[in-house]
Amino acid sequence: MLKQELIEKNPIRHLKGESDAKESSRMGLVMARAGVGKTALLVQIALDSLLNDKQVVHVSVGQSLDKTKLWYDDMFKDIAEFCNLENAGEIHDSIMHNRMIITFNESKFSRAKLEERLHDLVQQNVIKPSCMVVDGFDFAKTDRAVLEGMRDLATTMDLQIWFSAVCNEEADCQCASGIPAPCKGMEDLFNTVVLLQPVSQSDCIDLKILKGTAAVSKCGKLLKLDTKSFMIRENCK
Amino acid sequence: MKDLSKVRNIGISAHIDSGKTTLTERILFYTQRIHAIHEVRGKDGVGAKMDSMELERERGITICSAATYCDWKDHSINIIDTPGHVDFTIEVERALRVLDGAVLILCSVGGVQSQSITVNRQMTRYRVPRVAFINKCDRTGANPDKVIKQLREKLGLNAVPIQVPMGLEGDMQGLIDLVKMKAVYFDGENGDKLRVEEIPAQYKDECDAKREELLDAVSMFSDELMEAVLEGTPTEEMIMAAIRKGTLSLEFSPVMMGSAYKNKGVQLLLDAVNDYLPCPTDVDNFALDLDHDEAEVKVTNQPTDPLLALAFKLEDGRYGQLTYVRTYQGTLKKGDSIVNVRTGKKAKVGRLVRMHSDEMEEIEESGSGDIVALFGIDCASGDTFTRGDYNFSMSSMHVPEPVISLSITPVDNKAQDNMSKALNRFTKEDPTFKTYVDQETLETIISGMGELHLDVYVERMKREYKAEVTVGAPQVAYRETITQRADFNYTHKKQTGGSGQFGRVAGYIEPLEEGEYEFVDQIVGGSIPREYIPSCDKGFQKCLEKGSLVGAHVTGVRCAINDGASHAVDSSDIAFQLAAMGGFKEAYMKAKPVIMEPIMKVAVEGPTEFQGSIMGSLNQRRGMIIGTNEEDAYTVIEAEVPLSEMFGYSTDLRSLTQGKAEFTMEFATYRPVPKSVAEELISKAQKKDKK
Repeated sequence: MLKQELIEKNPIRHLKGESDAKESSRMGLVMARAGVGKTALLVQIALDSLLNDKQVVHVSVGQSLDKTKLWYDDMFKDIAEFCNLENAGEIHDSIMHNRMIITFNESKFSRAKLEERLHDLVQQNVIKPSCMVVDGFDFAKTDRAVLEGMRDLATTMDLQIWFSAVCNEEADCQCASGIPAPCKGMEDLFNTVVLLQPVSQSDCIDLKILKGTAAVSKCGKLLKLDTKSFMIRENCK
Repeated sequence: MKDLSKVRNIGISAHIDSGKTTLTERILFYTQRIHAIHEVRGKDGVGAKMDSMELERERGITICSAATYCDWKDHSINIIDTPGHVDFTIEVERALRVLDGAVLILCSVGGVQSQSITVNRQMTRYRVPRVAFINKCDRTGANPDKVIKQLREKLGLNAVPIQVPMGLEGDMQGLIDLVKMKAVYFDGENGDKLRVEEIPAQYKDECDAKREELLDAVSMFSDELMEAVLEGTPTEEMIMAAIRKGTLSLEFSPVMMGSAYKNKGVQLLLDAVNDYLPCPTDVDNFALDLDHDEAEVKVTNQPTDPLLALAFKLEDGRYGQLTYVRTYQGTLKKGDSIVNVRTGKKAKVGRLVRMHSDEMEEIEESGSGDIVALFGIDCASGDTFTRGDYNFSMSSMHVPEPVISLSITPVDNKAQDNMSKALNRFTKEDPTFKTYVDQETLETIISGMGELHLDVYVERMKREYKAEVTVGAPQVAYRETITQRADFNYTHKKQTGGSGQFGRVAGYIEPLEEGEYEFVDQIVGGSIPREYIPSCDKGFQKCLEKGSLVGAHVTGVRCAINDGASHAVDSSDIAFQLAAMGGFKEAYMKAKPVIMEPIMKVAVEGPTEFQGSIMGSLNQRRGMIIGTNEEDAYTVIEAEVPLSEMFGYSTDLRSLTQGKAEFTMEFATYRPVPKSVAEELISKAQKKDKK
């Protein structure tokens, strides 16, 4: 498989925001219970941007640099294997130049600091990201203002930002009535919200689109993803 | 014979400037091996005992790991002082191989720095149990709690303090032992008088909480302790046994603290070495059985079993070559005859000595598990000695390939002689240091693991061997490899005068995923006679020495032959070698060769305000920034940068950050160079050829 085909197979292609939102400055949210694969999907989203020769900043709160880097290496390997990607090594080396990881301690993270860091990067001409993923952001401890600030950041820097959030066990049954806690009442800030749910006795993960529409109508609001590579599976519809 | 359970072979390993040598110095003082204390950068000009080389004294760093022996409370401790700079990691690794346990020293201000991470990784590789010592608690800004947190987060150690400091920075008074629940003060001019008292009231609560934490953590390793804790009656012995068990299993690291410079906590550290670090029989060591395909065999550690000893370090002393050995089983006696397994040569043990930095003490025999030195034995480091009845080798050590080289030219004839003597010695001492003569320029090339690594050897040549040399610009060890399969069919024919030469070789070359070179013989029907197949192999290998792009070593190639032709009279070994070489050259350019360059993993640590400029500087050097990590006022930036761009970086970094940032680098991998750089390299190589 070639790089181009790989891009087309990425689940992110199916996650279009609401029609009026600009593609480049939207905010997305990935929700799941602990251990289902939020980070994996975020890395997947980042990899998609990277494969499109765009630059990505990965903000990791509470995880070490090495671990985050491993996520990328592993995900890329899994995806490359899943899709039989040709000259994977070369593509890997070329796209990783466009990725930048910033790690923060849980207690040290703040929007102002992040913004300062980003401006630094752009000014020094190190990177000009068009996508940012924020992993480990604690929604339970943040208020709307911080997220609104992030939204402004997305607009001013022309950046799409994806967050991950942990929801509790009951989230599964709540999702019919809207966005589960801890992000309840913040859905208007996001263009896309998805929920990951493991499917018992299966090698798939359900990706439910809670907000935003799927680009391909036949998929409806539910996508099936491979548990390892997080690519769309065709054989388990 | 000594009781093995009372022997400790330990290493002291840490980041540069975290006070390792000072600590060793204090240990030697308290164990009465030396009678006065000299500072590393002391004003008395004597220097610390362990830094035996002149150069080390001058630069304030420790290069060679000197082995030292001391006694502490009826235990014998062998200490290997290891270098702190990453360029000398082979020294660290070699020392780790023969150690049973280690003390990891950390600076209470600097905390876990990148070098500590490297050292920690090496220790994990050799399964060395470790205790941590947070040094320099007297410095302004000391924060042991932060360091412990870093030990957990960055090194992934289950680090739990077993002490609480009484006061930090300038007013550090002593330590509280959480196992015994007593306060310890260090009195006397050199802190050699220990005073044990009850815990002062103001520390009571803190100690209770920390002890609870400690009990929680170690009761995992002992059911007996777990029960006792639940009943509220844990004894000192139980806790110590559990800490020891956890430490030996590498699942727990007790953390101690103090200040070697201010003579605080060193004795307690020595107690901990006795109490918690393993003795030779606690650790499983493996030898490789050379008769059975290098199968692993556990060594017995029994003094009565056949001898098995490893030479781990050579030193050129005043009285000839000094070889440091560790015996793994059996007994080494004066007058014994021993056999070097690698060369099969016999040698006689003339003198057996116990080393104390550069003074020595003659002994008659050394039991298993001991570290001693031999005189006048001809060997290289890493060789195994037996009594000739065993064909075992202690496992081969991981030796990284050199990544940087430079040419050296002696200034006069006398220097020439001395230089070759020195080089001969260095290559035996240090497996990462290599030397050869470039066939084209006839220059002597030395190669090693980094700029500083080579610098030190050039300096040593000057000082120890009086060999003045002029040094060329450092060269990066490029490599070439191919990226796709290509076929060849080449006939070598020469029929002008005398006996002719004829050989035809056909086959293909293709990239090899792992390994450097592979030769595949797919000849069927004898189109190339059997006796000439090795000639083809030889021919290919000759081509690998020098690629056609920039003349670098070619790696990662599989050469296969599947057809050919020969002539009854004119075919010969040399004809097929030349045919294979011709074939390789024919296919090489078709196989899309690329130049590979060594990539270093660079970690720069500096104040946050310089983050932008540091990143800019790495970016300029073709660096790929992997990420940044923020902690307090410091930021660590990790990047992968080609080695060729890193020359002189330390100077640049200093001027960029007012000397507030430091960096470490280590070899990461080889990666193809970008096109523009490749073109430049190729045109440079062509120009050189024309000259």
